[in-house]
Amino acid sequence: MSNYRVKGLGRVDTGKPVTFTFDGKSYSGFKGDTVASALLANGVHLMGRSFKSHRPRGAVTAGSEEPNALIGTRRGPGRFEPNTRATVQEIYGGLETNSQNKYPSLKFDVGAVNDAAYMLFSAGFYYKTFMWPKSFWDKVYEPFIRAAAGLGVSPSEEDPDTYASRYLHCDLLIVGAGPTGIAAAKAAIGKGLKVVLVDENAEVGGTLLSEPQSKIDGTAAWEWLETEIAALKDAGVKVMTRTTAIGYYHQNMIGMVEKLTDHLPELPTDMPRERMWRVRAKQVVLAQGALEKPLVFHGNDRPGIMLAGSAQTFLNRYGVKVGNAPVVITSHDSAWYAAFDLHDAGAKVRAIVDTREDVPDDLTKAARERGIDVKVSHTATATSGRLRVSGIRVNAMKGGAVEQGTWISCDCVLMSGGWTPSLHLFSHTKGKLTWDEDQTTFLPEHTPEDCVVAGAGRGLWGVKAALDDGVAQAAKALTALDQKPDTAAYDVTDDRTGTGVTYRELPTDKNTSKAKAFVDFQNDVTAKDLRLAVREGMRSIEHVKRYTTNGMATDQGKMSNINGLNIAADALGKEQPKVGLTTFRPPYTPTTFGAFAGYHRGDHFEITRKTQIDSWAEDQGVAFEPVGQWRRAWYFPKPGEDMHAAVKRECKAVRDSVGMFDASTLGKIEIVGPDAVEFMNRMYTNPWTKLGVGKCRYGILLGDDGFIRDDGVIGRLSDDRFHVTTTTGGAPRVLNMFEDYLQTEWPDLNCWLTSTTEQWSAIAVQGPNAAKLLAPLVEGVELTDAAFPHMSCAECTVAGIPARLFRISFTGELGFEINVPAPYGRQLWEKIWEAGQAYNVTAYGTETMHVLRAEKGYIIVGQDTDGTVTPHDAGVAWAIGKKKPDFVGKRGLERPDLKAPNRKHLVGLLTEDKSCLEEGAQIVFDPNQQIPMKMVGHVTSSYDEGTTDQPIAMALVEGGFDRMGETVYIPMPDRTIAAKITSPIFVDPDNTRLKIGA
Amino acid sequence: MSLQISSLSPETLIHTGDVQITVTGETGRISLRARGKLAPLDKALGVKLPTKIGTRANKGDVEALCLGPDEWLILCPNDDVSALKAACDAIYEKLPHSFTDISAREITLSITGPQAAELLTIGCPRDIASIGVGEARRTVFDNASVVLWCDGPDQFRLDLWNSFAPYSAELLITGAKEFSAETALT
Repeated sequence: MSNYRVKGLGRVDTGKPVTFTFDGKSYSGFKGDTVASALLANGVHLMGRSFKSHRPRGAVTAGSEEPNALIGTRRGPGRFEPNTRATVQEIYGGLETNSQNKYPSLKFDVGAVNDAAYMLFSAGFYYKTFMWPKSFWDKVYEPFIRAAAGLGVSPSEEDPDTYASRYLHCDLLIVGAGPTGIAAAKAAIGKGLKVVLVDENAEVGGTLLSEPQSKIDGTAAWEWLETEIAALKDAGVKVMTRTTAIGYYHQNMIGMVEKLTDHLPELPTDMPRERMWRVRAKQVVLAQGALEKPLVFHGNDRPGIMLAGSAQTFLNRYGVKVGNAPVVITSHDSAWYAAFDLHDAGAKVRAIVDTREDVPDDLTKAARERGIDVKVSHTATATSGRLRVSGIRVNAMKGGAVEQGTWISCDCVLMSGGWTPSLHLFSHTKGKLTWDEDQTTFLPEHTPEDCVVAGAGRGLWGVKAALDDGVAQAAKALTALDQKPDTAAYDVTDDRTGTGVTYRELPTDKNTSKAKAFVDFQNDVTAKDLRLAVREGMRSIEHVKRYTTNGMATDQGKMSNINGLNIAADALGKEQPKVGLTTFRPPYTPTTFGAFAGYHRGDHFEITRKTQIDSWAEDQGVAFEPVGQWRRAWYFPKPGEDMHAAVKRECKAVRDSVGMFDASTLGKIEIVGPDAVEFMNRMYTNPWTKLGVGKCRYGILLGDDGFIRDDGVIGRLSDDRFHVTTTTGGAPRVLNMFEDYLQTEWPDLNCWLTSTTEQWSAIAVQGPNAAKLLAPLVEGVELTDAAFPHMSCAECTVAGIPARLFRISFTGELGFEINVPAPYGRQLWEKIWEAGQAYNVTAYGTETMHVLRAEKGYIIVGQDTDGTVTPHDAGVAWAIGKKKPDFVGKRGLERPDLKAPNRKHLVGLLTEDKSCLEEGAQIVFDPNQQIPMKMVGHVTSSYDEGTTDQPIAMALVEGGFDRMGETVYIPMPDRTIAAKITSPIFVDPDNTRLKIGA
Repeated sequence: MSLQISSLSPETLIHTGDVQITVTGETGRISLRARGKLAPLDKALGVKLPTKIGTRANKGDVEALCLGPDEWLILCPNDDVSALKAACDAIYEKLPHSFTDISAREITLSITGPQAAELLTIGCPRDIASIGVGEARRTVFDNASVVLWCDGPDQFRLDLWNSFAPYSAELLITGAKEFSAETALT
C-alpha cells in the first residue's frame, strides 16, 4: 500500500495513529483525519458508486458538500448510519465503514450495466419508462423504483443513541469560522455582547486551514488563528465546532446541529450523540464562504478527479497528497496554487491546463520556475482509467475551434471551474439574490431578517478581502445593536487572490450527444440530460431540476446548481436570472431524524400527564389508555382476565355494591366574582340564577353554531363562586373559550377564571353501597337524601382531609365525587379502598365508566357527539333555559337546518341477534336497496360488557325520536344486522337507583 | 416504575457537581385576580401588589408575583392561606376579586448550581438571562406551562402542575446527567 502522507504538512496528530476499517479492510490514519483523508493517504480514491449508473467514484471534495464519497458507518448494534460523507466523518479507533450501492463488491459491481445502457437512462427516464401499461404501476414499477431509490440502506435496528436540544439566545451569531467569521467575531468583542461563532468543521479556521502560507499582520496564518481563537474564547465568545447551522427560520431563529460523539472512540455514558440548538440571535453574520465548482467535461467523474481546492485542503490540512502525478485543469487562478503546493510537497505535476488565454504572468512564471508544463487556451475532452483516472485528453483551442487532442497520463486530475458563494442560509431568509455577470453567479442583495453576508459568501476573494469584509459587515450588525463599531484593516502577505471565467460544458471536438460530462455527480445528471430536458419542453429551472433530478441528491445541488443553471440558460437562450435558481431549503446538510426529535423519543416521546392515583393503579397492574395528554386507568384485570371479563366484572360490582374511580382528570375551572352567575348564564345553555348554593346542575356548552362543545356538572359553592367541571380532553379548550368571551366580548363582567383541574384529586364512589361506605369517613355532611340530596355539593372533610364533596352520578347509581387537594389523592384513595373492603369495593377504569353511563343514556361529548349535534339531537333539550335572553349558541340553534324535523337523533339500538355492533358502523333503513345505499346514521357507542342481558348501543339516526320501535339495518362485510330503535336509557329510567334509600 | 413527584415527599432528585434538583414541600399558593385600585388588597395581604408583569414583592412570609395585568400569584406558608382568604373576603364588597386556593395544584422544583441556568435551556425557549434576579416569568418548559422564578444567578424555582411533574422532572434529570457527562469530557 502506497503512502501519500507528507511529512511536515497538515494538522493531523501524527503521534496518535488510528485504525479503522473500510469494506472490511483495516486502514490506519491519524487523529484529526477524516475517512476520506485517511483513505487518500493510503492511496485509495475509489469510495463509492453513483446512484443511477453505478459508476465508480471517489471523493470530489474535502468537505460537507461531498456528493460521491458516501459511506455507511457502524459502531456496534443499532449504531449504523448510511450516506455518511467520508469527507466529514472523523476517524476513531474501531470505526467500521462500508461503501454503498455496489454488488458484489465496490471494484466489481453488476449494477454498472446501467452505465453501459446509459442511452436508456436519459433525462425524464422515470416519466418515460414507467408510464404504461397502467396496470404495471402497482405491481412492477413502483416496487422497482422503491427498491432502486436512494443510496445506502436504511437502518433496521432501533437507534440506541440519545439526542439532545437546547435554546440559545445571543446578540450576534456568526456562521462560519473562517477568516471572515473570525474577524467579525473579533470586531464584536469587548462590548458586553453575547457572541457565538459556529463552524461545521472539527476545527475552526475555514480556508486558513488550507492556506497556511499567508501571513496576517506579520504572523503566520496558523499561529494567528490559534492566538485569535484563544483571545475570542477569553473574551467570552462561544466558539462551537462540529456544529452546522442547518436552517434560518423566521425572526432570526437559526437551527444548528452539533455532533457530539461521532468522533469519539468511546461513547461516554449519558452523552447524547447530537444536539439541536435553537438559536435566537439579534443579529446574524453569515460567513459561510464559497464552494468550488467542478468543470463539466466528458469523463469528469472518475475516481482521482477532484476539486483543486479540495486537493489543497487534503494536502495542507491533512498532510495528504491526493496523487503523485496530478494534472490541473482550471478556468480560475486558484487551482494554480494547488498545483504549486502539490509540486512543493513532492508531487510531479504533469501539466496545468487552463481554458483561458490570459493568465496572470506571476502564475505562469511560478509554474515555469517549478518546471511545470503550462497549457493555456486548452480544454479537456476525455479521461481514461476504470477505477482510477489514468489519463486526460487535452486539446488546444484556437479561434473557437477545438484542435486535435493529446493524452497526458496522470494519477489524479484537479479541476476548478471557479467558486460559488454559499448562499443557502441567506436564501432560507427569503433573501433576494442579484445576478453578477462578471462572476457569473448570484450574490446576496437584500433580506427581511436581521442578517448580513460577509466574505467569500458575497463573492470576495482572498484572505485580506475576507478579513476586512468580516470587520465591515460586523460593523453593520454592531450598529444595528447600538454599538459603535471599530474600524480595522488587516495586513496580509502571501495572500492568494485571483479571478477566473465561467464555462458551461468545456468545449470539445467529440460528439456531445455521447458525452458523459457530469453536472450532478451523485444523481448522474450530465450536461446532455439538461439540454435534452430543455428540448423536451422544460422552461423553468424548477422543471428542469425535477425532470433530470439535477440538484436533488444528498448534496442538494451544492456542486451542480450553478453549472446546471448555466447550461439550461444556454439551451434556452436566456440569461441566467431569467431562468432562475432553484430554492434552497433547510437543512443545509443532511441531518438525522434524531437531531430533530431531540429528547422526545421513547418514554419521553410526548407529555404524559399522570394523576396522583396513577401510581396505585400501576401497582395493581392496571391497563392504561391515553386520553388527550393524560394516561388513565382503563381497566383493572385480575389474573387470567381479558379486558372483556375485567370490564364485565367491574360493571357488575358497581351495580351490585360499590366501585371507585379516579376522576381527577376531569377539567375544573373556578369562576369567581360578582358577575360569575351572569357569566354562567351567558356561556351555558342552562339557567343558573336560581341554582342554590350547595347545589349542582348538569350544564351544556355550545359553540356559536349551536352544536354541543362540552358538558359537565357545575356546583355553586357560594353566590359568587362556581366549581365548573369539563370533559377530560376539553379542559384547556373550554378555559380558552371562556377567557376569549370574557376578555373580548364581555370585559365589563366582574369575574375571573382559574384552572383548578390540578388543584384537586377527584375520586368517584358509585354504587348502592356508596353512602354506607363513605358515611363513616365524612365529617360535616350527613349523607342522607334529605340532608344531601342528589346534585348537592358541600365543603367538608373526608378521612380527615378537607374536601369538596359532590353527590353526582355518571353511572346511574347512587354516587359521590370527593375532591381533595391533589397530593392527598392517593392517601384518600387508600383510605376508601380500605374501608370499602367491607363492601367488596372494586376499582374500575374508564371502560367500565363508559359502559355504565351508556346504560343510562348519558352522552360523552366527542363520542356520541361530533360537532354537528345539538342539545335537541342528543335528547338533552331540557338543559336549555328557554326563558334566557341569550347564551352562546342560542342564535345558532335558530337556524332552519338545526330546527329541521328529520335531523339525526341520539337513540338506543338493540340488535335482534344479540350481537354487539361496531362503533362507527353505518345504518340504513332498507337493507335491500341498491348500493350505494342511503346511510341514515351511525353507531356512536356500543358495549356488551354491561349489566343488561344483551349488548346495547347508542346511535345517531335520522328522525330517530319518531321511529321508536322501528327496525334499522347495519350492513357489515359478512352480514347485515337488524336492530330495534329504543330509548337510549337501558337501565333504571325512573332514577330510583340514585336514591340513598333506607 | 415511573417517577413519583409530590410536595408531600420533598426530596433531591439529582445532585451532580454542577446542578441540584430538589422537590420542595407544601406551600400556600393563591391565584389572585382583581382590577382597579388595589389598595384594599395590599392592606389585606400585607404586601403591596407589584404591577409590572414578572416582578415580585414580599413582606414577611407573603410573596406576590405579578403574572398579568389583573393576575397575581401569592405564596405564603400553607397554614396562612385561610387567614389571608378571610382578610381578602373582608374587603370583597369594596374590591371584588377572585381568591382561589391553588396550593395543591402544583409542585416546585428548586434548581440550583453553576449550570442551573444552562440546564433550563434544554426546555425553555425563553432567554433565561433576561429574567432578573428577584423576578419570575410564566413560560413553558418542554411544552408544559410553568412559572420560573429566578432567585439568584444560579438559583431557580420551577412551578409545575402536578400531572406534568414526572414528565418534566424526567427531562431535567436526563439533562443534568448529560451536563455532567459533558463536563467530564472536557
